[in-house]
Formats: sequence, C-alpha cells, structure tokens
Amino acid sequence: MEVRAAAPGVGAPGIGALAGIASRPALAAHLFTLIALGAWAFAATQVPPIALSGPWTTLKALWAFVTNPDQLAHMAYSLLHVGVAIVISFFAGSALAFLAHYVPVTALMIHGRISPFLNAFSGIGWSLLALLWMGATHLTVIFSISMVLIPFALVNMKEGLANLDRELIEMGRSFSRRGLRRFVKLTIPSLYPFMFATLRISFGVAWKVALTAELIGGGSGFGYLFDLARQDYRTPILFVVILLIIAFVYCTDRFGFEPVQRRLQRHYGLR
Amino acid sequence: MASAERASATEPPAPLRQRVLSRVLADGLVILVILGWWAMAKSLPASILPTPAEVAEQLWLLFTDATYLGHTAASVVRVLLSVALALLIGGLLALLPAGVPWASDIVHRRIQPFLNSFPSIGWAILAVIWFQVSDFTAIFVQVAILIPFCLINISAGLKELDREAIEMGRSFTRSSLKVFLKLTLPLLLPYIVSALRIAYGVAWKIAIVSELFGTGTGIGYLMGEAQQSAKPALLYACCFAIVLIFFAGEKLVLDPLSRSVRR
Repeated sequence: MEVRAAAPGVGAPGIGALAGIASRPALAAHLFTLIALGAWAFAATQVPPIALSGPWTTLKALWAFVTNPDQLAHMAYSLLHVGVAIVISFFAGSALAFLAHYVPVTALMIHGRISPFLNAFSGIGWSLLALLWMGATHLTVIFSISMVLIPFALVNMKEGLANLDRELIEMGRSFSRRGLRRFVKLTIPSLYPFMFATLRISFGVAWKVALTAELIGGGSGFGYLFDLARQDYRTPILFVVILLIIAFVYCTDRFGFEPVQRRLQRHYGLR
Repeated sequence: MASAERASATEPPAPLRQRVLSRVLADGLVILVILGWWAMAKSLPASILPTPAEVAEQLWLLFTDATYLGHTAASVVRVLLSVALALLIGGLLALLPAGVPWASDIVHRRIQPFLNSFPSIGWAILAVIWFQVSDFTAIFVQVAILIPFCLINISAGLKELDREAIEMGRSFTRSSLKVFLKLTLPLLLPYIVSALRIAYGVAWKIAIVSELFGTGTGIGYLMGEAQQSAKPALLYACCFAIVLIFFAGEKLVLDPLSRSVRR
C-alpha cells in the first residue's frame, strides 16, 4: 500500500517543467536515457537477436504491432481484464471494509481471517487454481487479478474508515437523522482520497499480475502474446509488449493519477 | 480496530458478548469454509477439488518429505536472499541522490518508474533467455521485481528525515559516515523494516513466478509441475504452504523487528 502512496512528489507542471529541463538533475536524466539507449543498441549488436532485440528492431516490431488489428485486440483484452478486475476488487474490498466498520462483530472475521489469508495467497496460486476451476477463459484471468487486488483495496479502505473525521460525522448527525444521507454526503466524500489511492495502487499491481494470469490461464491478452512469442523465440514481440506496458503504466500514473492525487491531497489537507 | 472508533447511535453490545460473538464469527467462518470445501469435494472430481484431508497430507509432506522439503527450503532461501539483495540495491539507489544530487532524476524519474512498470513475467521470460534455467535466474528475477518496492519506501523515508536532527548532528562532527551511521540510518530504520515487509510479501505473492519458469526447484516449480501432471492436491498444498511460510516470517521475524524498531 505504502508503496504507491509513497511515490515521490514531482515538480510543478507547465512552466515549472520547462524550467526543469534546463536543471542539472533533468539534464543528467536525459543524458542517462541516451546512454541507456546507446548501451541497449550496442549490446544488441554483441548478442544473438534471440537474446536481445535492439531499439531499431523493436521500433519496427512496434509499428507492425500497432498496425495489426489482431495484435491490438490482445492489448484491448489486457485492458479489459485489468479494468474489470480493478472494479470488482474495489467493490469487493470496499464492501468488506464497510462491513467490518459498521458491523463491529465482523471485524475480526474480516481483518483477522479473510484479509491476512488473501494477503498471503500467491498470485500464481490463484491463476493455477482458477485455470483448474474455470479453464482458459477471460473469467479465469479476471478472477486471478481480482483476488490479488482485493486485500489491497480492503486494507486501504480500512485505513480510510479509521481516519474518518469523527467530529464531522457527529456534526452531520446533528443536521440529519438519515444514516444513508450522512453516508452519501459525508462518509463517501471523506473517503475519496483513499478510494483514489486504492485505484492507483490497484492499477500498478494489476499490471504486475495480469500478464502472468493471462499467460497461465487465458487465450488472449498481452500475457498470451508473451507465451506465443516465448515459444516461437520472437524476442522483438517480447520487447514490444514490455515497452507498451512500461509506457502505458508510466504515462497513466504520471499524467493521470499523480495530478489528481495531488489535487485531492491539497483539497483534503493530506500529505 | 477501525470499528472501535465508530460512534454508534445505537447502544453498543457488552464488550465480552461482542468479543465472544466476534471470535465465534471469525473461527466459525474458517470451520464453515473447511466444511463447505469438504462437502463440495465430495460432489466434484478430485482433479478439480481434492478433499481437505488429501491437501493436508500433501502439505505435511511439503515440510517433512526430504524431496519436497528440498523444494520448500530452496524457495525460502531464494526469497530471503532476494529480499536482502533488493533491500541493499534499492537502499543504495535511494541513497544515491543524497550524495550525488544531480542523480536524483536518474533514480526517481528513470530507474524507479522503469523498474516499477516492468511486468514481472517479462523479467522471468527474458532472464530464462539470457541466463538459462538456474538458481541465478530465479534470484535475478525476484531481485528485479523487488527493487522498486524497496527503492520507493526507503526514498520516502529519506524525504521524511528530521532535517534539524541531521543538521544538529553535522554541528557535532564533520564525519559524514558518522552522521549517517549514528543518525540517518536509525531514523531510516522504520522505513527499511517497512520496505522489508513489503518486499517479503511481494516475493511470495508475485516474485515466486520466477520459479515457474527460471528454475527446476522451489515451490513455484512444484506448482507448475503439479498443474501439468494433474496433481491438484499438491497444487493446493503449495498454495497453503506459501500462506504458512508467509505467516511464519511475519509473526516470527517481521513483527518482532517492527516492534523493536518502534521502541
């Protein structure tokens, strides 16, 4: 949990970012990128193509990938698996956290039994078991990813509920006797930062397990492509998939999640 | 618990009654799940759902039979080694910008996002192509997966360091090493333990995938074998063995470590 929440802060975008380009750390980082690309290109000339696909070969394979509808369909399937699993795990984890919060006798059952068990269960274990139970289907992949994500959502939402402003809730009680109204107008908005953090963490972790789940238990998605490429020794495809995932995860986090989280933290006075 | 902080409009139940009910519900759920599993196993083929007794027998073998114990021990040793290495490398990377300020963007804007976004199965497959199937491959993959988790946590710790304490330390001595060992490191300890806890968890949950592809020993390898040779009881047992080892590590090592750091 803390892993994603602890992601380092970034400089202000816009003019600040432009000014940053000229700064020494930014310059060093750009230089590092160039050196890394150069080293990759050089290494690719020294080892067989089966071991390392060079930048140019990867770029050509990337173009072939993005212009091939069949390959793009696999990308869409991966996005679908990840998206649906995030939604399912978010609601399942939140429901468990709310149950433990509002029905205190269930707290030990949820936080003392279900959560530690789910938290300790291996991701491959879920994938292999789901394959046994449901065969190679979309459901297998979505189930495996969801089971890995549920404890993340549960723990994060538990934190959110524990940090609710009790005075605010008390004040709400003096304005309305309707529990549902207070829940919708006060509790849920107070939980927004934690809900968002849950989604952000889930997004990062989902991509770490999705490919494994697709490789083991699916007939579609990036993981399935990975398996085919591995069997046929098509190394450039491996690199293309890795490159696409890195770009997708990084851009979504950097330009999507990070600014929204910063805004939420400012709005709710969190660090 | 969070629920304890809730101000309820209704009269709360008597603490003892609530405690008993809570315990009954929690342990009742476990018993119910085992009974439900047993009942379902009776009506389903053993290739899909073996009985709890069959799984318990295999689980016992994983910790007593010499061959299986070898696999279990191999996984434990690999995880411990990988966590230690990831902590060391991640820690050094996190500390680098403190000594070399111009390297901060290299670490936090290039290396960290790259490693953090890299798919775990990508490491596993590439490592097998590069290094063949070996112990080194499995450990390499696990370390590569765990480094970003350690790096992020220790970097967060460095950000939260008490600057005034460090400044005060500098006014007492000019030796940077002494300031680091006597001040920075103790202040960082809670974050290092937190990184250790996360890395340990991720190693068993995600990084064990390295054994599925990269090696011929370990629980991950056994899981693949069990799936391919249709031994579902062994597959279930491996899953539960991971849960047991994970809990043992948490309760016997990580929890006491966290408590001692907090003191």
